[in-house]
Amino acid sequence: MNTSVETLRPYTRAIEISQSWLRIRAIARRHAYVLKRSPHRLFDVTLWPLVDVLLFGSLGVFVSREGGAGLTAFGYLLSGIILWHVVYQSQIALSTGLLEETWSRNLLNLMVTPLTEIEYVLGVVLFGMVKVVIGVGIVAVTALGFYAFNISDLGWDLVPIVGVLLVVGWAISLFVIGVVLRFGSGAEALAWGIMFVVMPLSGVFYPTNALPAVLRPIAIALPTTHAFAAGRALLDHRGLEWGQLIIAISSAAGLLVVAVGFVVAMLRLFRRRGYVTRYS
Amino acid sequence: MNTVLRAFGLTKSFRGKVAVDGIDLEVRAQERVALLGPNGAGKTTTLLMLLGVVTPDAGSIQLVGHQLPHGRSRALLNVGFAAGYLPLAERLRVREFLHIYGQLYGLTDPRPFVEEGLERFGIPHLARRMGTELSSGQRTLVGIVKATLHRPRLLVLDEPTASLDPDVAQRVRRGLLDMSEHQGTALLITSHDMIEVERLCERVVFISHGRVVADGSPAQVKEFYGRGDLEDVFLHLAGHAEPTPPITLAQETDRPL
Repeated sequence: MNTSVETLRPYTRAIEISQSWLRIRAIARRHAYVLKRSPHRLFDVTLWPLVDVLLFGSLGVFVSREGGAGLTAFGYLLSGIILWHVVYQSQIALSTGLLEETWSRNLLNLMVTPLTEIEYVLGVVLFGMVKVVIGVGIVAVTALGFYAFNISDLGWDLVPIVGVLLVVGWAISLFVIGVVLRFGSGAEALAWGIMFVVMPLSGVFYPTNALPAVLRPIAIALPTTHAFAAGRALLDHRGLEWGQLIIAISSAAGLLVVAVGFVVAMLRLFRRRGYVTRYS
Repeated sequence: MNTVLRAFGLTKSFRGKVAVDGIDLEVRAQERVALLGPNGAGKTTTLLMLLGVVTPDAGSIQLVGHQLPHGRSRALLNVGFAAGYLPLAERLRVREFLHIYGQLYGLTDPRPFVEEGLERFGIPHLARRMGTELSSGQRTLVGIVKATLHRPRLLVLDEPTASLDPDVAQRVRRGLLDMSEHQGTALLITSHDMIEVERLCERVVFISHGRVVADGSPAQVKEFYGRGDLEDVFLHLAGHAEPTPPITLAQETDRPL
């Protein structure tokens, strides 16, 4: 009997993995329908990226005409806004994924299915990657078309930097989700607002020594700061700065671990206090 | 007989107020059980704990052979839940909604199950409608189809016919009885419609102030309390300010249809 159970175990595991993948795809599909049927949600992935690149691209052109450091600023502004949209789009896609369930009071429907929390997050992230590609693609193509700035000129060294920024976006959204689980929909403004705090502190367009001295320790602690610094090094033809990249990767991993711990704790509280009734 | 649900000593308080106070509940395969009680008795909290949505303060739950909370995902592959108050996810057509939930319940190709469910409850004409275009009764019906797509061993329904016309409610009852008889699905239902309970369920569990106060067949409960119908029993038990001692009237119940 034990032998047959042992023999069957790999097959049972394979079935579980296949069912898990089915549920992840179902969640991704559900959010694809949401985007398709909600034109206003397209603003996040089309209109705002376009507005951002026009704003920072034109600002870059203006300062570059002044010559000197203005020429450097042009590249910093455009590469900064393109890379910023990697963080922004990955964060917004995951945060609004959960918010969509609270807006349509669908949380209880989901919680009584076999769907696990990890599968839900992976499903939203899976479709979120489509949004990231659209949003960042629009910024990059607009920068190329309007300002002749080609981000791909920075080469493959950009890939690990983009990877760090994606992870930071997901980690921030896990914090947002945790706060929404704890405090309810009233905390949803955080999904957008938190990015306006992270952006200036991360030195998206400038080295962090341009920040007021009191804010620099906070900036140095953020993984995004080191990722953007590594991006500017590429733009300045200094090659990939491994020191910055290693700090960015390790601090992004640390941030993700803390974010997962936070959201798990908030989820436990959510179940213990029966907060699901807020959304049913 | 197989047991699909076994809960012992379930207790839950919210902000110091006791909602559920040591409930024991067992549901056997193919059994149809009504969980009854006045508003605030603890019915919905009990159901949400049984489904792993709310964590009990104390007690243990075994759901279709899996211990909660660890086995929640595996257990829910064999459990369905619908409630009259649950909306459909927005921005989805009914067929899309059911297809997605079929996949969440582990159906690789949910299409035949979706069509069968829509037919069973008489709503194939709603398949292409958006969830937001449906009346509350139609939404309830779609919710019940969703909960039964994967042919669960246990179907939990919270006020399933509260917003339905009498003829539609009858169609729902027929559909549920059909599932119970032909697929062996056990039912655990809350309802304030005592006539419906008598027609559908072979066992009733009354709870009051978070405790089980009576457990037996409708006939046994009526006889014990000396009342002509379940509604009178309900009014009698609801009128008690304090819970009465629990009374288990039957281990094996008759199965009236």
